[in-house]
Amino acid sequence: MEIELRSADGITIVGIRGNVDGLTADELMRTFSERVSEGSVRLVADCASLDYTSSAGLRSLLGAVKLARQHGGDLRLAAIQQQVLRVLDLSGFTSILKTYPDVQSAVGSFVEQA
Amino acid sequence: MTRSVDRHQRGVAVVIGSGSVKCAAALGLVNALNRAGIAIDMLVGCSAGCLYATMIAAGRSTAEAAEMTRMLWTSEIAAQHDRRAVFRAMFPRTLGFDARFGLRSDRLILQRLRTAFGDMRIEDTKIPLHLTATDFATGNQAVFSSGPAIDAIRASIAVPFLFSPWPIGDRLYLDGYMSDPLPVGVAIKEGAGVIVAMGFESPYQESISTAGRFAFQVSAILSNNLLKSQYSFHGLAHHAEIISIIPQFNQRIKLFATEKIPYIIEEGERAAEAQMPYLDRLLSAQAAGTAA
Repeated sequence: MEIELRSADGITIVGIRGNVDGLTADELMRTFSERVSEGSVRLVADCASLDYTSSAGLRSLLGAVKLARQHGGDLRLAAIQQQVLRVLDLSGFTSILKTYPDVQSAVGSFVEQA
Repeated sequence: MTRSVDRHQRGVAVVIGSGSVKCAAALGLVNALNRAGIAIDMLVGCSAGCLYATMIAAGRSTAEAAEMTRMLWTSEIAAQHDRRAVFRAMFPRTLGFDARFGLRSDRLILQRLRTAFGDMRIEDTKIPLHLTATDFATGNQAVFSSGPAIDAIRASIAVPFLFSPWPIGDRLYLDGYMSDPLPVGVAIKEGAGVIVAMGFESPYQESISTAGRFAFQVSAILSNNLLKSQYSFHGLAHHAEIISIIPQFNQRIKLFATEKIPYIIEEGERAAEAQMPYLDRLLSAQAAGTAA
């Protein structure tokens, strides 16, 4: 898994490439925690290059969402590939997380809200 | 009796959910695991997934299991009406009615199960095996880890209204999907650390032209929502690593479409192959004590 950080309109975008699983989930959770502790609580996960998430990956996403929301922000998912979307849907994530077709609209959802 | 997992073995638990003939995709998963040199150290089956879990646990090859399915799982098994059941449903006060209600005769499926599995016992299979059904009186999940395989399989495929609930001991059991269509919780409870779960959503009807289709549609809605809620609970509440394998079928697979078994196996293998590099790394990391 590779993580790439960037920002747009004051929103932190976390690009995730590869698999989020038992070997990489801790690193992803750490990345989100560090952003939140720095005060970046409005987060977008760019999932365009995310190939797969196992249960460990789901747990780290859930942890990140809870953390961001506890601090008054949110984690929103963008550009989710079909195979990842199936796992998110099966796990009920699509009912508790906001998802967007692309990063621009995810970032825009925060801007509209502000 | 429960057989424990050998934690020194480089293996995974495989859970095969309900899904009628689509469960044959599990044979593709087995092919992929074999090629990757990854052993199966536990099998859990639900509904038609029980058939494959049992065949794999008993050491049948993919080709043998596919052939057995072609003999077992044909539309004839659900073709014979149980006329007495229909009359009992219409005139319950006159003819009597009880919990052993099913609109189809189970004579043929029982005969075929006997031919396929004989007197095989769950506790004697090469790989530890757990088959699930649903207690008719309480709705609780029942897990069979010993006893005659035929009884547990027949209980687990007791599709409501179609086949009558099946008695084991002093209790009646319904299809396993009624309590959990993809019972990863059983593997977690039995101590599995890495679980490969192959599940299938029930297909929705294209048109509701009969009462039977109406019943299947209602059942599909309930079971798909149950699948999601149970899967999310187990995935998030426990620390076992669950790797979901969800084959994608571009062709519509009907309940008894055994002619599509080669295609189903192929799609199961394709979906499983994508996860083999990760499984390999995960098991190596676990052996080295570096996994999360």
